[in-house]
Amino acid sequence: MNIKDLPSVRDRLIPGILSSNRVLIDWRRWDRAVVARVIAIIIVVTVAVGLRVWGLNQLGYNTDEAVYAGQAAAIAKDPTLKEIFPIFRAHPLLFQFVLALVFQFGVSDIAGRLVAVAISLATVYLVYRVGTVLYGQKPGLLAGLFLALMPYHVVVSRQVLLDGPLVFCSTLVIYFLARFAMTERPAWLYLTGVGMGLTFLAKETGIILLGAIYAFLAISHEIRVRIKDMVLSTIFLALMIAPFPLSLLLAGGTRSGKNYLVWQLFRRPNHPWDFYPSTVPEAIGYLVIIAAILGLWFLRHEKSWRERLLLCWIIVPAVFFQIWPTKGFQYLLPIAPPIAVLAGRALARWWPEDISFSGIRISRALIKTTTIGVIALSLLLSSLQIITPATSGTFVAGTGGVPGGREAGQWIANNIPTGATLMTIGPSMANILQFYGHRKAYGLSVSPNPLRRNPSYPPILNPDMQIRNGEIQYVVWDSFSAERSAFFSEGLLRFAKRYHGRVIHTQSVKVFLSDGTTVDKPVIIIYEVRP
Amino acid sequence: MNRVRSFRYVLCVLVVAVLFPNASALADVSKQTSKSKTPIQHFVVLMQENHTFDNYFGTYPGANGIPAGTCMPVDPSDKTNTDCVEPFHIGDRPIDDLDHSLSTFQMQYNDGKMNGFVYALNQRNQNGAMAMGHYDDSDLPYYWNLADEYVLFDNYFSSDHGGSFANHMYWVSAQPGGNRVSENGYADVATIFDRLEERGISWKFYVQNYDPQITYRSLSQVSGNRASQVIWVPLLNMDRFLDDPKLSSHIVDLNEYFVDLENGTLPEVAYIAPSGASEHPPGSIRSGQKFVKSLIQALMRSNSWDSSAFLLLYDDWGGWYDHVLPPQVDENGYGMRVPGLLISPYARRGYIDSTILDFTSVLKFIEENWGIEPLAARDTQAKSFMSAFDFSMSPREPVFIPFERVVKEQRVEPRRVVIYAAYGGALVFAAFLMIWAAIGLDGFKKLVFAKRLSRSEDSLP
Repeated sequence: MNIKDLPSVRDRLIPGILSSNRVLIDWRRWDRAVVARVIAIIIVVTVAVGLRVWGLNQLGYNTDEAVYAGQAAAIAKDPTLKEIFPIFRAHPLLFQFVLALVFQFGVSDIAGRLVAVAISLATVYLVYRVGTVLYGQKPGLLAGLFLALMPYHVVVSRQVLLDGPLVFCSTLVIYFLARFAMTERPAWLYLTGVGMGLTFLAKETGIILLGAIYAFLAISHEIRVRIKDMVLSTIFLALMIAPFPLSLLLAGGTRSGKNYLVWQLFRRPNHPWDFYPSTVPEAIGYLVIIAAILGLWFLRHEKSWRERLLLCWIIVPAVFFQIWPTKGFQYLLPIAPPIAVLAGRALARWWPEDISFSGIRISRALIKTTTIGVIALSLLLSSLQIITPATSGTFVAGTGGVPGGREAGQWIANNIPTGATLMTIGPSMANILQFYGHRKAYGLSVSPNPLRRNPSYPPILNPDMQIRNGEIQYVVWDSFSAERSAFFSEGLLRFAKRYHGRVIHTQSVKVFLSDGTTVDKPVIIIYEVRP
Repeated sequence: MNRVRSFRYVLCVLVVAVLFPNASALADVSKQTSKSKTPIQHFVVLMQENHTFDNYFGTYPGANGIPAGTCMPVDPSDKTNTDCVEPFHIGDRPIDDLDHSLSTFQMQYNDGKMNGFVYALNQRNQNGAMAMGHYDDSDLPYYWNLADEYVLFDNYFSSDHGGSFANHMYWVSAQPGGNRVSENGYADVATIFDRLEERGISWKFYVQNYDPQITYRSLSQVSGNRASQVIWVPLLNMDRFLDDPKLSSHIVDLNEYFVDLENGTLPEVAYIAPSGASEHPPGSIRSGQKFVKSLIQALMRSNSWDSSAFLLLYDDWGGWYDHVLPPQVDENGYGMRVPGLLISPYARRGYIDSTILDFTSVLKFIEENWGIEPLAARDTQAKSFMSAFDFSMSPREPVFIPFERVVKEQRVEPRRVVIYAAYGGALVFAAFLMIWAAIGLDGFKKLVFAKRLSRSEDSLP
């Protein structure tokens, strides 16, 4: 029987569809404004895709990417990587779960990054929607454009990191909250709880945005919230968070979660106090921040719950992570969308006077377009600069891939016996080599003291004994880790020397010198050691 | 006629010498390029110490191990005495160097009844029950893992009823040579190394902690375990291998094994004698495994791996129980079964080879592989372990065998279905609520019942 012949389809569905007068694209109704909007959207999408995909796989994964992709591969039951990467480490597994669905068709670093890019493009669209809902079409488009070009978002969203999905989910929460504030329909508040749950599942640090929601609702008296709806929203939040503890309990990973929490609470600061002020504004774009601040000042007479919502979304995480001892380049990414919206709003509402200069009249439209163009261009240039592979031989965590890491790992996979174990300076290079090399690797710098190390990383308790017993057969030195820890770099080389270290592979990368010439700089050296 | 032939021969030699002044160099080249008949171009054999097959692999699944219901009589000569000792897991119990002299063998063998293992040791004023002890995979994880991956021999017999020296002599010469080191050495015994030298096939005898000063000549001045070097390296009892610099240069410290592997100069035939890590009771079997692991790992990561075979053997039974009656091929042997493992890129995977073999099978393999004449009756009659190889397959990639025993069935895998259900369910639930919130309950009903779609004022685009 044909499906069209089913009574329910024949009598109800088909007439329903046919009776609908909706036409998805009605070309006759397009005027110049619509065409301009479509062109603007195409431009935003093009630059967003271009900046996120251009040279995407030029460098291999960095340490965090290797870990998340390794976890996803373990969930997807990749026969080799599931033996190396434990599924449960520190964070919830929403992104890894999505990656695992893709990895069912084979583990690939480019596939993982494309998933991250897809999520970031969805975030750009969401920012456009948030801007549109809050301030209208033009501010929405400008906000989308700024986020599409923003180096901070571009660089993080090109990587397999949890922060990209976190920002997508947190922007979703802004959208839901904005819809709730506009309509006061309880469904949007429930969805806010759902969105917060997704934010937590993307990365548990997202939970601090609850503080932003609380602050926003507490200071926005014009928005009425019923206790009953608040309770229901909280229940939805709890339901959405449940997969994290449930999977830990039922799938066998309780201990790793608890250990990581304890370590995060008591670990020592990993960056100086001025880490964020010195890195994040530049990555967001000084002109964007200035535009957002000037907009807030000059449009202060228009102040409403909209600005309060966005400001809460910026201030709460910024203050929290500034106080929190553990700092990371990408941790403040959730503040990027509200800043982009505020900047978009400022430029959309800005209406300068015409200027006459030496008899030449410069129209207000030209001034405005030029200003927007300059900001966009500054973001574009910064993004282009930051996505160009680092060639100095040094590396900052969170800013991209590690030159030579993938190639060294692949060399290991092809040339070192299966079952071999490697010792690296630190766990960062160990993760990369494990992902690409399919061999166990341990960092020498991982402290044997459980209070002083990430519980996800097993320490080498007695390197001498393990080399003597043939449990560690290779020692890997790399310039990136050596740059960060000269002490452990020297220690590692001492082991190489003591145990008849023989260089079996050197991974070099092209480095640009100040005079413009290039040289091959060894960045990773693999030694074979024996008792 | 003979004179004419001799003259022609001399003339040919002179012509060659004039035309090819570097003829000796050519000869050396020919030595290096001598071809084996199988893909095995490097054969390494290590002789460890004093364990039986049942002692090490008596409970290995699928092998000819300790029969169920075994109970060794305490006094087999007294039929009224029903006391017996069952096999037991040694675990962490301290062990002794059980007597393993010829007379103990004869008492344990007991004219083929194989029921004197406890009694014989009791007669030596030792704890005879200890003979019935055995190890398992918790004690020998590395060896059991090797057996899982490569070839385990469960019919490998020691060549001689007696202890170390005679068995080592069989190992190199297919002849007994006596039960102990002779004060006069063994000058007349031909060894496989003489044959290899004649054929220009490269060889080395690697000795752990080698001391060239310790030979049969200096044995009276050496005390303690270091004298074992003379027993475990029979060549140190033969004058030509001591006095001829060309021959003696082949006996080297074990460190050279690693250097040769690194340099790609591993000889075609390599014998290895251990020192402290020999597993000779009461020595640590864990140290022995680590030692063996270091040798195998070094081979695996060298460029010789693809064309190599590594054979691990034990020189005698060490006084331990083994249930298989050894075939008697002559008045000296065979002795009890010993463990044997073959590791090679061409070794069958997880294969238990039950071919009847002894230490002269090593010689047989070398002779077959490089086309060498047998040394004596024993190696002529011996079987080779060619059946343990599968040369039809391409060489297996090297795999570092773990030191921990991992039984796959016992591994606890995370329950992935929980992860898929929990996170997948969360996403579906969120999507459902978003649709509901976007189009409202009425819209949802309309969607479900396919009535006219009307866009809610605050629907998601």
